[in-house]
Amino acid sequence: MARQRLLLAVIFALAIAAVLVIVQIPTRLGLDLRGGSQLTLQVQTTDKVREITPEALDAVKRVVEGRVNGLGVSEALVQELGSDQLLVQLPDINDPEQAERVLGGTAQLEFRAQRPGTEQQIVVENQVLQGHLQELAALQQTQSRGLPDSDAVSELEQLQAAIATSEAAIADLFEPPQLTGEALTNAQAGLPPSGSIWQVEIQFDREGGERFADLTRSIAGTGRGLGIFLDNRLISSPTVDVQYAETGIAGGGAVISGNFDAASAQDLAIQLRGGALPVPVEIVENRTVGPTLGRDSIQSSLYAGIGGLVLVLIFMAVYYRLPGILADLSLVIYALLTWAAFNLLGVTLTLPGIAGFILSIGMAVDANVLIFERTREELRSGKTLYRSVEAGFYRAFSSILDSNVTTLIACGALFWLGAGLVRGFALTLAIGVAISMFTALTCSRTFLLFSLSLPQFRKPELFCPGLKQAPKY
Amino acid sequence: MKLNVIKQRRLWWTISGLAILAGLVAMAISWQQIGTPLRPGLDFAGGTRLQLTRDCSVPDNCSEPIDLAVVRQVLAEQGLESSSLQVIGEDRQTLAVRTINLETEVRSQLQSSLENALGQFDPNSIQIDSVGPVIGQQLFASGLLALVVSFAGIIVYLSLRFEFDYAVFAIIALFHDVLITAGVFAALGLVLGVEIDSLFIVALLTIVGFSVNDTVVIYDRVRESIKLQPSEHIDKLVDDSVNQTLARSINTSLTTTLPLLAILLFGGQTLKYFALALIIGFVSGAYSSIFVASTMLAFWRERTGRAYATQADAEPLPGTVEDTP
Repeated sequence: MARQRLLLAVIFALAIAAVLVIVQIPTRLGLDLRGGSQLTLQVQTTDKVREITPEALDAVKRVVEGRVNGLGVSEALVQELGSDQLLVQLPDINDPEQAERVLGGTAQLEFRAQRPGTEQQIVVENQVLQGHLQELAALQQTQSRGLPDSDAVSELEQLQAAIATSEAAIADLFEPPQLTGEALTNAQAGLPPSGSIWQVEIQFDREGGERFADLTRSIAGTGRGLGIFLDNRLISSPTVDVQYAETGIAGGGAVISGNFDAASAQDLAIQLRGGALPVPVEIVENRTVGPTLGRDSIQSSLYAGIGGLVLVLIFMAVYYRLPGILADLSLVIYALLTWAAFNLLGVTLTLPGIAGFILSIGMAVDANVLIFERTREELRSGKTLYRSVEAGFYRAFSSILDSNVTTLIACGALFWLGAGLVRGFALTLAIGVAISMFTALTCSRTFLLFSLSLPQFRKPELFCPGLKQAPKY
Repeated sequence: MKLNVIKQRRLWWTISGLAILAGLVAMAISWQQIGTPLRPGLDFAGGTRLQLTRDCSVPDNCSEPIDLAVVRQVLAEQGLESSSLQVIGEDRQTLAVRTINLETEVRSQLQSSLENALGQFDPNSIQIDSVGPVIGQQLFASGLLALVVSFAGIIVYLSLRFEFDYAVFAIIALFHDVLITAGVFAALGLVLGVEIDSLFIVALLTIVGFSVNDTVVIYDRVRESIKLQPSEHIDKLVDDSVNQTLARSINTSLTTTLPLLAILLFGGQTLKYFALALIIGFVSGAYSSIFVASTMLAFWRERTGRAYATQADAEPLPGTVEDTP
């Protein structure tokens, strides 16, 4: 029985670890439970852009990410969905219409010359903006732990307003746009042939190249910058060397060099390409749930789940006696382990996810039922108690394996082919099924075998009421 | 209790056949009336659903239930007469409007005119679901694909673990369960206007995963019995196997249905019909495992001359008609 004692210790250690995980790592709640907006954006083709390539989608994604950051929502998420869609998740949003307006437009890339006499101002304004952005990042960091309170929300709104003001002030330091992104044909990050500092090469069409030459001539050697704006936000302001004061940067191409590393150069190039793509985005799906509505559904689903679980526990104890009570114990451990696994793996719990969890409890019971029914049969056929329990586990194993694998196949199909909420359900059900195999085959078994080592539990009627012949142990 | 599943198999098959037929009739009527076998919800048809609750912290805002006549008038002014309306909640303070797919501007205009007519809404309890028609079709297509893929996966797995004929009858039982669940929802769609959404597809897939469990457990026992008593007739083996696993079938169906009943009765609005679909599917799944998949397997083995495992080994010719003892 030394092995049983060891296993028992391991199981309880796991259960305690699970409780610690549940307490330490917060459960990630889906937008349908915590409230927020989930938008699907369709990137549309136009006469100019006939096909959405992966690069183009990536570029549009960057534009959308920039806009989402502008909304100042903590824990926002932008994902590519298929070949021409983007999924945007905005938790805790309080103005869905504003979000839709901001996210749904076509990107605006503009090249603007800095106004004379603003050289000092831009440094100051930039410092102010950077300060705000740092504060925002810090605030979002703290908010990502748990649900934000109303103070934090209003602080966030104030910061956003300040950032918007700063950005507008910076934009004011530049002339009206003389060149837009439509003239830009390509933007590429690269290393110059001789050198180790990254740069971004840009290329204009013919007419754009001429305008770009005019634009750069007007600021060459002045120390004033060329403002590159994406959605009215300054993304780069390179200066133009004095050698171009005569002709401007002619030839339709230019190189933006500066303090770039590989990542920041790629970043700028992708932003430029995204702004240069004149593709409209359309919001084809919007699912918004208010925060209190989400809270209500968590509550009712939790009550339902706990209620269902309690009924199952009672049934097991009444019908299966001692093994039933031990199975109940392993079911509770099952629930703890599964919950901890969700938190550890960062599973986002949605409403269907909770349903998947509750269903997996039914699944976890099934394995125990199979084993106990088998044990009873063996007892009735006259085997000893210990042998019956062993045989119950041994004989039921193939049924448990087969039935769980078929459920996992359905989960797999749901996970690979489904989207959003559906995937959440498949994942939680699959995790539940996997853990239920462990708790049924290991926890229930260890508890049973351990209880058999205690004389007061070594009574067949505790396992199978109404057993005709009394088998010997 | 001992069930005699084989002897009365024609009765079981008739019951199943009639249930499926009734479902198909409901789908046909639905096809005639609304053009689809099941009433598609927002997820598949596309459209906008707005759920707004009055803010009851504003004085005098919630003194009366929401008046649908007022709402109808507002909708008519916006040219949205064909929308469906519902007032929900115990206090009748929550309005659900289902319209065609609305652009953001149109939707916010509708929202503000409703606010003018009905009083202030609580922004914290708003719910917006807006699905474009293309997305709806994508969701539907990917759901159907998932169903087909999991069918194929289950056939392959069961063929490997058992034999091909076991797998075929398990799949027939699955079709049985899916058809019955779909049939009930077609009828509910006709009578109560219940719509199916992507959760319904999820429910069907879960039914597939769960009800094949029941079948597998019985098959497992049949396979074991055949090995232990190779000279016994398949009818008796199936009968015994079903009865030996009967307590388990009933108890498991009970323990999975209990939490579902709890969700159906106490869970949120979203999960109500999801739970109902699962309950119907699981009950039908338990039935089809006991009365359809196993009896058909026995029938098939008998017809193909494999009623006895030993004899089948000696004489593996398919199509030999067995002289029933």
